[in-house]
Amino acid sequence: MKLTDREEGGVVVLEPKGKIMGGPDATLLHDKLYECIQEGKKQVVIDLAGVDWMNSTGLGILIQGFTTLRNSEGKLKLARVPEKIRSLLKITKLVSVFEAHETVEEAVESF
Amino acid sequence: MNKPRIKGNTIVVPSDPQFLSDVDMFVEGILRGWNTEESTIADIAISVSELVNNAITHGNQAIVDRTVTVVVEQVETQVAITVSDEGMGFDPRSIADPVSDENLLKDVGRGFFIVQSLMDKVEVDATDAGTTVKIFKNAN
Repeated sequence: MKLTDREEGGVVVLEPKGKIMGGPDATLLHDKLYECIQEGKKQVVIDLAGVDWMNSTGLGILIQGFTTLRNSEGKLKLARVPEKIRSLLKITKLVSVFEAHETVEEAVESF
Repeated sequence: MNKPRIKGNTIVVPSDPQFLSDVDMFVEGILRGWNTEESTIADIAISVSELVNNAITHGNQAIVDRTVTVVVEQVETQVAITVSDEGMGFDPRSIADPVSDENLLKDVGRGFFIVQSLMDKVEVDATDAGTTVKIFKNAN
């Protein structure tokens, strides 16, 4: 997995790419989310368009980020969720937890 | 053993999550060679990653000298993959329901549930000598 990040209007946009399956790569996203929180950046969008698939480790990282940001009065939103990941969110009922948007722009503007 | 060992359609890896990507490349490579649909490959790859994660963490207790063995087979029209560890017999079916309200926001405990949801059949054999999970998925 590779990870890039940028800011749009005070919102951090994270772009993981590849597969999120656990192992050393998965910590990249986890660590970046915590870095954002520590720096006081509490509005985060994760653009999932470049993610081939993720497993429960990836879902766990999203949940950790979601709950930690929520507890800090911040918010984590998803954008451009691929069908394979959307299906996993439905299976695990996490679709009811995450706010997902069709585009990054829409997600950023929704804060 | 400090690196993956491959023989035919079998890969053996140490109990270290850094080798998850080796298992994934190995399994996906075989499935592509069998002209398996990409969506099916993804479902199988996700499931294998869950089972190998479980084998490393829960089965082998992340003791790196213990190995995880993954065997990829074709059984008639199905892909069958067996994941075995050398632990004390962790039964993944013992995990609490991850979609219940009280567990929904937990960051762990969904792996085997996802495997059961994505695969057509799942067999578990947990003994004192380790756990073997065999998954089946229609190839196309």
